[in-house]
Amino acid sequence: MRVEYINPFVEAAYNVLTEVLATDVKRGNLFLKSATKPVQGVAAIVGLAGEVEGRVLFDMNKQTATKIASVMNMEELTEIDDLVKATISELANMITAQAVTKLHELGFKFDLTPPALITGDNMEISDQEVEALIVPMETPHGSIEINVAVRERS
Amino acid sequence: MSTTTTDLAKGPKDNERLAKIDFKMISFTLAGRDYGIDILKVKEIRKAGNFTKVPNTPVYVRGVDNLRGDIIPVIDFRTMFNLPAETKDKESQESIVILRLESLVLGIVVDTIEKVLGFASESIQPPHPIFGDINIKYISGVVENAGRLYIILDVDRIFGEPEEEAPAPVERASVSEHTPDAVPAAEVPGPGTNIPLDLQFVGETLAAFGQFHLSPLNRTWVSSRLQEWKKSRKDRDLDFQLTQKDEAEEFLVPFASSQSGRIWTSEAVSSFAGLLSFNSSPLVVWNPGCGRGYEAYSIAMLLQAHFSGKAYKIWASDNDLLSISTAPSLILDEDEVDPSWKNFTVQSKHGLQFNSDIKARIVFEFHDLNHPNPLSEVHLVVIRDVISYLKTSDQDKLLTEITEKVRPGGYLLLGTHERLEHPEWKSVGNETWSVYQKI
Repeated sequence: MRVEYINPFVEAAYNVLTEVLATDVKRGNLFLKSATKPVQGVAAIVGLAGEVEGRVLFDMNKQTATKIASVMNMEELTEIDDLVKATISELANMITAQAVTKLHELGFKFDLTPPALITGDNMEISDQEVEALIVPMETPHGSIEINVAVRERS
Repeated sequence: MSTTTTDLAKGPKDNERLAKIDFKMISFTLAGRDYGIDILKVKEIRKAGNFTKVPNTPVYVRGVDNLRGDIIPVIDFRTMFNLPAETKDKESQESIVILRLESLVLGIVVDTIEKVLGFASESIQPPHPIFGDINIKYISGVVENAGRLYIILDVDRIFGEPEEEAPAPVERASVSEHTPDAVPAAEVPGPGTNIPLDLQFVGETLAAFGQFHLSPLNRTWVSSRLQEWKKSRKDRDLDFQLTQKDEAEEFLVPFASSQSGRIWTSEAVSSFAGLLSFNSSPLVVWNPGCGRGYEAYSIAMLLQAHFSGKAYKIWASDNDLLSISTAPSLILDEDEVDPSWKNFTVQSKHGLQFNSDIKARIVFEFHDLNHPNPLSEVHLVVIRDVISYLKTSDQDKLLTEITEKVRPGGYLLLGTHERLEHPEWKSVGNETWSVYQKI
C-alpha cells in the first residue's frame, strides 16, 4: 500500500474515535496481512474507488460494538439491534470520509461507497490479490481493527 | 503374503525356513513407528542418561557418554529426523543403541528397544516413500514381521563422512526439548550439495542471529568471507565460531552492496547504465527493499541521464514502515548529490529534496514481499541484499515470481555479493554489478 495513504487513515481513526468516545484511544503496531483473516463479530465495510481500488473494513466484537453505540447515542444499548448497526455504519463512514478528505488535500482523489454492516459468528475475510494494512486501535470499550486493502488503479 | 517369523519353529518345513535366516536386526521404535538396524552394525544396547552436552554441535547431538572408558557421541535420532520425541527429565535413563560403523562408534537415542529379529534377506522389500517419515535415502528396505512393519535404516549412509551428504541440520534457534506435538522446521541446504560442516554451522548462526540465510545465491561470498574471518580471528587469538549477535553482524558487514545507504555517485550510475539497454517505453521498474529510498531515486537519476527519451515508473517498496514512510520526502545530503542532477532537486524548508516531477514517477509502498503483488511486464528489477535475508523457501518463491514478472530481455540487479544460477537468466554483469538478463 502506498505510504502516503497510511497516515490519513491512522490519523482519521484516532481523531474520530477520540472525539466520539470522549476518551483516550491508543494505536497498536501496524502490520501487513495477506490471506484469510478472522473477523470478530461486527464488520463495517466501506468501498474505495477513484485512483485506487479497494476497501476499508472496521472490525470489532459484538460487545465493543454495543458499548460504542451506547456511548454515541447516549443511551444504554444491550444487543445488536438496528440502532447499533446504523451507529457503527455511521462511525465507519465518518472515519473513512475524514481519511479521504486528508488524501484529497495530499492530491489523491478517492471516492467512497456507502457503508455495509456485516454481523455474524466465525467469519473470515480473504483478500487473495490485495495486501491489507491492519491498524489496531485500543479503546476502553474494546479493540477495533481497521483493515485497509487498496491497490493502485494502473 | 506371510514372511518368516522368529517363533520357535516346529517341523521340517519351518526348519527349512529357519535355515534361511541370513539377516538379523535390532528393532526399536521412534515416534510410534518400528525401525530396525542390521545387527552386525550394533555393538551393544544400554540404558544411559545425563549426557555431557557439547557446545556448538547440531541440535540432534545430545552430547557424549562414557562407554567403559571410551567417549562416544550420542545422537538423538528423533531430533535428527524431525520426529516428535517424548520429553524426559534430565536424570532419567534413555534407551541407547551403540553402533559400531567402519570409522566410528556412536550411540543413538531411541524411544524403546524391542528385540532381535531374524529373517531371510529375500523378504526385505525396497523402500517406498510412503513408509517412513525419514528421508528415503537412509532407508535400505522394509520388512514385515509378525504383522508389524519395520523400516530398516542404512546407518552407514546416515553417518557417512561429513564431506558426503549429511542429514539436513535442524534450525539451531529451535528449543532442544521437544513435546510430541511440536516439530521444528528444518532449513535444508541447497539440493544435492556437499556443504562443509563449518560452513553449515556458520550458516545456522547467521540465520539465528543475523536473519541471513545461506543459499546458492550467497554461498560463494559466505565461503570466502569465512576463510578471511577465520584468519583474522586466529590473528586475534579468538575462536572463529559465531556465538553472539554482534559477531554475526560483524561477519556480515562486508556483504552490503556498493553504494548502499546513499544516493549513487554518477560514476556508479554510468557504470550500471552501460550494462543495460531498453528498446521500449514506458519502462516499469520494480525496486523491493528500497529502504529509505536511495535506490529508487538513484534509478530515477539513471533513467533521466542515460535513457532520457523514455517515460518510466518506479514501484519501490519495503516492509520497514519507518524507513519507507520517510522515502517520499527524503532529505538529501548536498555533497552526495552529483552536480549534474541538481536540476532535479529543489530546496524545501527541511532541506534538499528531489522535485515533484521525479517524485511523481516513483510510488513508495509499504509492502511485504511474501504477499501477492500485481506488477507485470517489468523491465528492470532492483533487489539488492534483500533475497539473502529471506528464508530459503521464500527465496525460491520470490525468484520464481521475479522470473514470471520480468519481460524477456528485462534485467535483474542483485546485491554486489549475490550470484544467480538459473536457466532463464544469463549473466551480463561484472564484479560490482550483479546484473542478469532474462532470456
